[in-house]
Amino acid sequence: MQHVADMTIFRGQALRPAVEVRGLSHVYAGRDGAVPALADIDLTVPAGKFVVIVGPSGCGKTSLLMMLAGLRAPTSGSILCDGRPIPSPDPSRVGVVFQEASLYPWLTAIDNVEFPLALKHAPRDERRSRAEAMLKLVGLEGFGGRYPHELSGGMKQRVSIARGLVQDPPVLLMDEPFAALDEQTRMTMGQELLRIWSQTSKTVVFITHSLTEAVYLADEVVVMSARPGRILDRVTVDLPRPRTYQMMATDVFGQLRERIWQQIRSAP
Amino acid sequence: MTRPSPRTVRRLIGLGLLVLWEAVPRLGILPALFIPPLTKTLEVLWLDHAIYWAALLVTLSEVAVAMLIACGAGILFGAVVGGVAGIRRLMLPVFSSLYAVPIVILYPVFTAWFGIGSESKIVFAGVYGFFPVMLSTAAGIRTIDEQYLLAARSMGASLPQLLARVIIPASIPTVLAGLRLGGALTIIGVVVSEMLTSADGIGYLVTKNRTTLDSPRVFAAIIVILALSVVFDIFVRAVERRTLVWQTAGRRERPSQAVPAASLPTPAAA
Repeated sequence: MQHVADMTIFRGQALRPAVEVRGLSHVYAGRDGAVPALADIDLTVPAGKFVVIVGPSGCGKTSLLMMLAGLRAPTSGSILCDGRPIPSPDPSRVGVVFQEASLYPWLTAIDNVEFPLALKHAPRDERRSRAEAMLKLVGLEGFGGRYPHELSGGMKQRVSIARGLVQDPPVLLMDEPFAALDEQTRMTMGQELLRIWSQTSKTVVFITHSLTEAVYLADEVVVMSARPGRILDRVTVDLPRPRTYQMMATDVFGQLRERIWQQIRSAP
Repeated sequence: MTRPSPRTVRRLIGLGLLVLWEAVPRLGILPALFIPPLTKTLEVLWLDHAIYWAALLVTLSEVAVAMLIACGAGILFGAVVGGVAGIRRLMLPVFSSLYAVPIVILYPVFTAWFGIGSESKIVFAGVYGFFPVMLSTAAGIRTIDEQYLLAARSMGASLPQLLARVIIPASIPTVLAGLRLGGALTIIGVVVSEMLTSADGIGYLVTKNRTTLDSPRVFAAIIVILALSVVFDIFVRAVERRTLVWQTAGRRERPSQAVPAASLPTPAAA
């Protein structure tokens, strides 16, 4: 836990970015030879920021996220996460929340949240109290004994978020976490995520297809092109926080959304 | 007036069949040689209970060893075939085709190799029960949601942890379904092989008494075999209930499984 303490100091002084990607390219072996998936990605995410990545399907957003999580190695370039390379997954530095509820159906909600701690053989009491605190944070206090099939889609994603945060990583990566939810639940979960984010001061890298969701959540929206994925634009969203639903109807919101849409549409 | 529950109806149907079993031969609708009355059958079962008990023990011991072979080898081969892509492409079509072969044609060969004692029954029934266990284990492991594995890796799971905490629990439902089918086939395999060429066991009693046209004793053996299957089924159900509690938990008490979002505690900062 030493580096977490360090990080707080650094974050306070804004000395080093939470995520730093330099000259990253990725080529994978496809059916007809090498397929370039990502090209020349440079991306700096300052600590505590909420960055949303948008782009057309197949632009390598998910590949990029996998590399940030240490789940896949880039072909070239470097990634620094919390100041150090991330050659393999490290849930104490980077938590990941996936699209579909990737909760284990044979474990209760609280056992799911404890899962990363159990992998580390953390003492049982500590596991339980950490997991309970996380469930409380995501608004699911008292639901720990439920199995995933007894929870709604939104509640499952709350549990996933709790699981991603249980080791208190400075960085949280989210791969279209609300894509499978209906519109209303999705809006509620966006609001909830912002609340959790403001309470924990994490750095969030969030992938989505929804431009509305992107503008609503982000400090900065990173727009990517179709394959090979490149960064086309970085749009700063300077809407005040806390964000409200009413902001979606404002001109500023519409203009930002329009600018991003034009970028994606006109990209080759 | 309330409609009787399906369970009541099932019990009534069962009771009705038992009454028919007694009444049809007694009333002369069918000759007692075809269907001896239920009471007559139970009577010889009681009279010869020592013989039937001894035969049942032989059959049971054969079933037990055959099930161990079928389940052990089935799970082992299934795990390898399901888990290793190269072996799967090579072997799965072969195993799937073999499953369709009526393996009973091999039984004469097994008696030539292993004699007419218990060994040939065990080998035959073991092979018979092996295929469904192996194929469903392979399917269970192959169809594990990629997302489960990815999530575990993102949380820093090592390969042994992946196996113990994700792959095995995720494949248990499919493996259990295979064990259920494989176990039933093992019982069938033992009884059938006893009926074909044998000197002992419940299946042997069926054949022996049939050749002497002793219908009550044939039916008494059939009752014992039925009881064996029913006990096996009850056992497997109990195991499934215990292991798969996560699939059914809460469904019995609550009609709706998901809790509506409205009942969530409202977050203060929303």
